[in-house]
Amino acid sequence: MLSDVERERYSRQIRLFAEEGQERLKKKRVFVAGAGGLGSIVSLYLAALGFGRIRIADCDSVELSNLNRQILHSSSGLGQSKAQSALKALSDINPEVEVEVLQERISKGSVDRLLQGCDMIMDAMDNFPTRYLLNCAALKRDIPLFHGAISGFQGQATTIVPGRTACLRCIFPRTPPAQTSPSLGPTCGIIGSIQVNEALKFALGRGELLEDRLILWDGLSSSLDEISCERNLSCPDCGHLQRIGRGDR
Amino acid sequence: MLIEMPDGSRLELEVKDHRIEDILRELQINSEEVIVAKNGQIVVEEETAGGLDVLKIVRIVHGG
Repeated sequence: MLSDVERERYSRQIRLFAEEGQERLKKKRVFVAGAGGLGSIVSLYLAALGFGRIRIADCDSVELSNLNRQILHSSSGLGQSKAQSALKALSDINPEVEVEVLQERISKGSVDRLLQGCDMIMDAMDNFPTRYLLNCAALKRDIPLFHGAISGFQGQATTIVPGRTACLRCIFPRTPPAQTSPSLGPTCGIIGSIQVNEALKFALGRGELLEDRLILWDGLSSSLDEISCERNLSCPDCGHLQRIGRGDR
Repeated sequence: MLIEMPDGSRLELEVKDHRIEDILRELQINSEEVIVAKNGQIVVEEETAGGLDVLKIVRIVHGG
């Protein structure tokens, strides 16, 4: 049940999906992996939309070189943990949502505990080894993973629904070589917004998700392209899962 | 065969049933850094391509 304050706060979007839709968002528990460039956009919009519980994990502290794009943090928070900085920003933007922050590295040993009780995973990481951990955890828990990644003017996003779509390992079978990517705020804004839009549609049960489609953003030509992908039935991560049709959920 | 390179440029190659991993090698592209779509569909590098196929080579982005 929404309070009067919530009805007022969300009035512009309640026009779109009614109070019932807003209540659906309120019941969702979302895990945001990372409070960097993508994590900033993702968590701010999730909070503003009124996703009821947001858990965000990041082990780093706010550095000056983050502030060109990580709009969750500010100059006054330099040196502070990103987790604490995120808590302040998200609580400021919407005190109606429950925010839990964890200053912790996502690892093989911690991922199960960090995801406990969550309904969906937002991938805002900066490396593929951790993304593969999140992919396996999503498959194990049977919850969606909203993938996004950026580098400079380029970005990519897709939605992974266990048993129904290609998983991250089907699309990217091998770990790409590690590198520090150039990062731009607008690219984070575009890809992070696509991820949140996907999570929103999933939560509402509306629209067509980016299932088996990898969307590619090129900011230099201002163009969006997409390529299709399909489940690899011998995938080491998801090959064991029974195939589920789109109408089955 | 038309190839769209990671930087958006395009080139044509006259080949028939070439393995994608060989095409990448000829183009001096590290196969670990890219995914390849053949006629709009992501394929493994053991797949072959040629003739009227269109290959799109996409550099994987990592950052967050």
